[in-house]
Parts: sequence; C-alpha cells; structure tokens
Amino acid sequence: MDISIGILSQVAFWGLYSGCIYILLATGLNLIFGVMKIVNFAHGEFLMLGTYITFFFFVITGFNPYVLLIGSVPVLIVAGIIVERLCFRPILGTGKLNEIFISLGLIYIFQNLVAMIWTDEWRSMKSPFADITIALGPLQLPLDYLIIIVVTAVILIGFYFFLQKTAIGRAIRATSQNRKGAMLMGINVEKMDMLTFGIGAGLAGAAGTLWAVSGQVFNPYMGSIPAIKGFAIIILGGLGSIPGAIVGGLAIGMVENFTAFTLGGSWKDAVSFILLIVVLVVRPTGLFGEAEE
Amino acid sequence: MNLPISRDPRTLLTAAFLVLALLIPLFIGSNLYYLTILVLMLIFIIYASAWNFLTFSGQGSLGHAAFFGLGGYAASLMAVRLGLPSLVTLLFGGIFAAVIGVLIGLTCVRLREWFLAMVTFGFAVIIQTLVVSQLAPVTGGWDGFPVPKLVPPDIQGYLMIEYYLILVITIATILLFRSLLKSRIGLALAAIRENEVEARAAGINPVPFKLFAFGVSAFFTGIAGSLEIFHFGYITPEIFGIDLSFWPIIYSITGGLGTLAGPVIGTIVVTLLWDGLNAVGLTYARFIIIGILLVLIIIFLPKGLVSLPDEIRKRIRKKDT
Repeated sequence: MDISIGILSQVAFWGLYSGCIYILLATGLNLIFGVMKIVNFAHGEFLMLGTYITFFFFVITGFNPYVLLIGSVPVLIVAGIIVERLCFRPILGTGKLNEIFISLGLIYIFQNLVAMIWTDEWRSMKSPFADITIALGPLQLPLDYLIIIVVTAVILIGFYFFLQKTAIGRAIRATSQNRKGAMLMGINVEKMDMLTFGIGAGLAGAAGTLWAVSGQVFNPYMGSIPAIKGFAIIILGGLGSIPGAIVGGLAIGMVENFTAFTLGGSWKDAVSFILLIVVLVVRPTGLFGEAEE
Repeated sequence: MNLPISRDPRTLLTAAFLVLALLIPLFIGSNLYYLTILVLMLIFIIYASAWNFLTFSGQGSLGHAAFFGLGGYAASLMAVRLGLPSLVTLLFGGIFAAVIGVLIGLTCVRLREWFLAMVTFGFAVIIQTLVVSQLAPVTGGWDGFPVPKLVPPDIQGYLMIEYYLILVITIATILLFRSLLKSRIGLALAAIRENEVEARAAGINPVPFKLFAFGVSAFFTGIAGSLEIFHFGYITPEIFGIDLSFWPIIYSITGGLGTLAGPVIGTIVVTLLWDGLNAVGLTYARFIIIGILLVLIIIFLPKGLVSLPDEIRKRIRKKDT
C-alpha cells in the first residue's frame, strides 16, 4: 500500500505542478480575452520563448534559475506589447477567424526564429535543488515542485492585488466589463490592450521559466500544445473567469497525469481534448460560459 | 459569356493555367525533383480546395490533418491487406474520411469560431493518439509501414504518368466544387454562412448542409491524403501533424478565402516560394518568411492574392480622382 500511495501522490504532485503551468497560461489568455475579446493561439510561443530566455540567462550568468524570473518576465512583457501593436491591433474587430490565422503566422515566426538562434534540439537545464526531496509522511516531495507551486501562488496573489487595488488594474477591469463605457470614462483602451497583452505574455514567460527550472525538456516547437490546452481550460472554466481558469488548470493537470499513469503516456495530450469535446457537446458555450451575441 | 472565345480575363487566365499545367512536364520531364514538386503541388491544391470548401458553409477547421491521415491510412491498409490497386483504394480512403468527417461534424455543427477551431484541433490529436497506441497492431505505431506506389516505379516515366493522373483528379475535384457551389446547395451554404438565423427563417435547416460540407471536405481531403501516401510509398503517424493541418489554411488565406481560385493560386505561390527559398539555403528562415507573409496578407490583403488586381485598380482610381 505504501508504494502505491507513494506513486499516486507522486502523480498527483506532477498534476499539481503541470496545473501551475497551465494556470499561468490560462490566466494570461483569459485576461487578454476579457479585455480584447480575442484569442491568441500563439500564446504558447511566449511560454517557449520564456524557457529559452531563462536558459540563455542561466548559461551566461549562472544565477539561481528562480531569480531569472526577473529576466524572463520583463522580456516577454515587451515581446507581448510588440506583438499586440504590430499584429493584433490592425485586425481588431475584423472577424474572429483572422485572429486565429494571424496566430498561425506568429507561431511560424516565433518557432523558427528561436530554432535559428538556439537550433531545434531538445534542451533541458538542471535546477540546483533537483536532488532535494522533502519527506512528508509516506510522501517524497521534490523541493522544486514545492517552490514552483509557491511561486505560482505568489504570482497569482500579486496579480489579483494588481487587478483589484491599482489604478491600472481598475482600468483594465473596466475595459474588460464595458469597452465603450471605459472609453467614455477617459480610459485609453488601446493602451489597456497593449498592457493586457504584455501582462498575459509575461505570465506565459513566468510559466516558461518554471517549465525550464523543473527539468522538463523543451524545443522551439513545444509551445503549441500547452497553449491550446490553456485555451481548453478557459473554455472549461468559462471565458473571462479567472477563478475558472485556476480550477480548470488544476483539473486538467490532474486528469492528464492520472491518465498518463493509467492509460500510458501517449494519452496525456489527447485526454484534455476528449474532456473538452465532451463538455462542448453537452454545453456549446463551455461550462460556465454565457451565450454570446 | 457564352461566346466560344470568352473575353472574360478570368476564363482566359484559367485556360492559360490549364495549358501550362498540361505542357510543363514536357519541358522538365527528365528532372524528377521538379516533377515531385509539381505532383505534391497538385495534391495540396486538392487538399487546400477541400479545406476551403468547408469555409463556404461558414465553418472552419484547425485539424484537417485528421482526415488527410485517415484517408491515407484507410487507403493504404486496403491496398496492403487486400492487395487492391491504389486507384480503387483511393476512393475508399476518401469515403472513410468522409464518414468520420460527418461524425466529427455532428459534434461541431452547434459550435462557432474558437470552439470549432479547438474541437477540430482536438480530434486530430485524439486520432493520432489512437493510431500510435490502441490501434498500433494494425497501423504499425510510430514506425508506420510501406505502401505500394500509385504508379509502379519500374514503368518508364512513372512520375510523369502519376502527374497527369493527379492532374485529372485535381481538375475533376475543382470542377465538382464549382458546380456544387453554383447549385442550390451552394446557395443554401452561402445563406447559412452569411446569417444562420435568417437562413433558418427562409426554411433552410442548416444542420444537414453543414454536415454535407463537412463530409465533402473530408472526402477530398482523404483523397489528397491517400494520394500523398501513394506518392511517397510510406505512411507514418506524422501525417496527422499540426503542420499538415496548418498548410491548407496558409494556402487558402494567401490565395483568398472563400473563392475557388484562391487555394489554387495560394498553393502554387507558397509552394514555389517555399521550394525556392529552400534552394537558396534558407531552411528555417523560409518558415519565418511564410509566417510574415501570412501576417501581412491578413492585415493588408484580407481577401488574398486573388483580390490583388482589384486592389491595385482601386489604388490607381483613387490617385486619379
């Protein structure tokens, strides 16, 4: 029994950890959707860029990789702002298919830019805490996972206070609730779009750093699947609902890892889509989504 | 319009294209590399046109590789297990893809935009997973299996024969799409695309038409998939890859969504650019260039390359006034 509890808790922990990555991705996607009403299918490329920037800083500075969040998040915020300004603003309001198509273009640009700079081999990096585990009764918890879970929680709490307590946060929420109304109140909604997109990309960058630190392998093409799962999560949790994204992220993380454990690793990606399809067949607008238009 | 020699520039252009397509292998006949590019170009014209047909009904798909691959697997399994000639199993590949397409379409008819994109993408992932895990005893898992070629390579000039065979299939496909769109079905699809509620009010039930579009699109995608496999003579689950879902979209957007000529022109332009850049040695950079091209076209030329002459005329007229 001890062994099986050990393994199960290990799987649950993996689920919690991958849930954290998904939560960061889904929260960013959700924030962007709330404000701009667009979906950026290239969001995973920000995650991928985050892993490479972390890797790059790690190689040249040798700092503790968790400190490198200070490096990856700002770089990604700037990248997000540039992408919003150059690609998404011109097509805002021209039809929902265009944003999907422009994301395809961005996916190709980002993936291959990174492949040109860092080649397309699989890479990984080793956290300084990789060998440390903390015993908790029968459970052996790797220190890295604990740190990742704590870091995610801190980021989310900080994000919450930013949205609730600061003037910019209030302006973002106002834009998200009623774009025209916000405009009439003197909020520069285009600036809010840029900021939101930047913050979303920054959160994906943080997810990228955590991905790299945990010792998972990465290559330039690894971003698409996590991002699409991030989008599945916000459909499950409800478009525009941040608590929904957190619950959905944890749920997908858990389901995925338990499926990989029981059905085999090849089902890890497919199961979240099965879940999504089942939900959408029953409720075409998502679990908590409201009918639009 | 019904004159024996039409003055419509579009008809003339189409005729010129056809003549070029018929004659071009005679000039490059001995060069297998160029012939291969041409053969693949034709296959992808079928694929992109089939994908584009779905958009006539107001639907879209991010996972058409599912049908491309299913067609390929169904046709090649038939060919290998039953020893039937490739040209016969080709049809079976299309039918199998169409059946699955209608089934997938059933879950999609109520969905719009992003949801539809997600679900179709998801199906491609799920089907690939099935093929490499539970169905591996039949499909050979990740390793795949060899398949007989469309035209046996021991016949002299086999690639040339293959080219003309596929050219006939391509032209037939496009003519069929053309007559479908001109028929009452095409009108109903357009009504549904423009406004589903009003179409309902006019007495059109959108569900069978949407399913029909899904089935037809999947059928020709399956044919294209089988053709590709019979061209290469080998099948692996990489046929379900994300890239293969994205290519028809890129071709159709570049050429012009929702037009018959769009996917054809888009496929030709992008393929030539693609292989041209490769020949210059820009292996990764060509992806970036295609990506930038896509972004620029969506922003500045949302109706694709087919609208380029109109756009230029508009610019000139603006300058005159």
